[in-house]
Amino acid sequence: MEKHPSYEALAPYLSKYPKIAGPLFQTYNDLKLGQQWTGLELVELSGCSRCAIRGRRPQQVDLLHVVPCSLSESLSTDWIRTTFKELDGPSHVYLAINTEDSSIVYYKISPGIVKPPL
Amino acid sequence: MASNRNRGSQKSGARRAENNRIYAHPLPLAFSNPEPGSTFGYVLGLLGFSLTKIENPHCEGVFDPATRSVWITNERDSSILWRRGFFGKGDLSRSEPSWLARQISARKAAGKYMTAEEIREKRRAERKQFKMDRAAAIAKAAAEAEAAFAEGRQAAPAVIPSGATWKPQQLGETAELPEEAPDDKDEDDELEPLKDVEHLQLTLQEAFFLVWNLDCLTVLDPQTSEPLSLQQIWKAFQNVHCVPPELPVYTNRFDNPFLVNYAAYHYYRSLGWVVKGGIKFCVDLLLYKRGPVFHHAEFGVVVIPVYEDSRDQESSPFNLPNANTFSWSWLSTINRVNSQVQKTLILTYVTIPSSSRVSTDLLSSPACLAHYSVRDVVLRRLIPARMRD
Repeated sequence: MEKHPSYEALAPYLSKYPKIAGPLFQTYNDLKLGQQWTGLELVELSGCSRCAIRGRRPQQVDLLHVVPCSLSESLSTDWIRTTFKELDGPSHVYLAINTEDSSIVYYKISPGIVKPPL
Repeated sequence: MASNRNRGSQKSGARRAENNRIYAHPLPLAFSNPEPGSTFGYVLGLLGFSLTKIENPHCEGVFDPATRSVWITNERDSSILWRRGFFGKGDLSRSEPSWLARQISARKAAGKYMTAEEIREKRRAERKQFKMDRAAAIAKAAAEAEAAFAEGRQAAPAVIPSGATWKPQQLGETAELPEEAPDDKDEDDELEPLKDVEHLQLTLQEAFFLVWNLDCLTVLDPQTSEPLSLQQIWKAFQNVHCVPPELPVYTNRFDNPFLVNYAAYHYYRSLGWVVKGGIKFCVDLLLYKRGPVFHHAEFGVVVIPVYEDSRDQESSPFNLPNANTFSWSWLSTINRVNSQVQKTLILTYVTIPSSSRVSTDLLSSPACLAHYSVRDVVLRRLIPARMRD
């Protein structure tokens, strides 16, 4: 992992939160290289022992937040509430669920009831 | 959209022949037959021996404890492991590593073959267009009904596109491509050459299967780059689940998640199924008859660990998923999700041996796997009113 070009940007958080190092690395690479997001920044969520990733989709202006987690983790609604609080209440957050075969499944979470778009 | 449902089996003959050629070997080991006319071979054959040689590709990968996987970084091994048995997944791709091909294709904007991701994007764009057309049609029908009601007449029958009959309009898309190409040509010289940053990622179960059963993979230590022995691999793959490592509570446990998942993986692989991860369908494993390129997975497997001795479960530091009694609503949800995508649900019960009956010394080698039992139950929903036979 150390030889990967993304390692440098992530190094401080990978060592600070080792349990979430794998999911953070996978999610960051998927967003940056796979999905080609721009302006990626890391936002520390100390209440959830991890850091979130903030950025934009290609050719779009909205700032989106992605919180990485592992499939083997157990999450609670309280945990989700904490992520919203620490990200200063965005309208929605993407939960990136990482697996060991490198598949990532993204779930969009919004506080409250949201009507489907179409 | 109806054409999409069976598209997996409606590939052209040329494509099918090409796939049969590329994916001819079901496992990384290949057999090379001696020339047919040799008398020596014939004589040996009479005695029950064979001159057939086994070709072992001797692939190499690096163990990455953070992502709990083994990374194959060189292209030759990555290609062999994917094409002979569909092992692993490109970490920036849907299936086989195609990130570099997609980047090059995006730069040239003139790809001859669409990668799986590009086909997916096209399908998503079409589905989005269909949804917009449908929403517009619904809104129009509602407005028409309102107007008709206000005027006291019957509304005209609504025409709402359904998935089966809607066809994508080609007009908008093709107009854009020619505009992009000239820009790319100017930028081409200034762009740096692309470095492939993708790797093939094997789960620990896949890697162990290749190492232990086929002996065609060498796993390197991430710090020293030295090959790990089978004993070291066996220990290391279990230790990733022990955080922090080497605590006494973690050692000598039959319910280590690696062991439980490996029992199920090995069971299906040894029966000839291609086993991949099933997170997209809320299951643990997907079973393919030949491989993902041939047909969609027919079965989705949920691995349910069963403790032979409940005291082992009470003392367990691992919180194995699905180890407790599940609710009917959970089962119903997963079955529904899989029925919608025409998959059959299989519940695979892996029985974890009791540490009081089986000595934990056996855990020092893979021989302990013989003490796990795997039973599978196929689930099908019965609708008595409709299914009479």
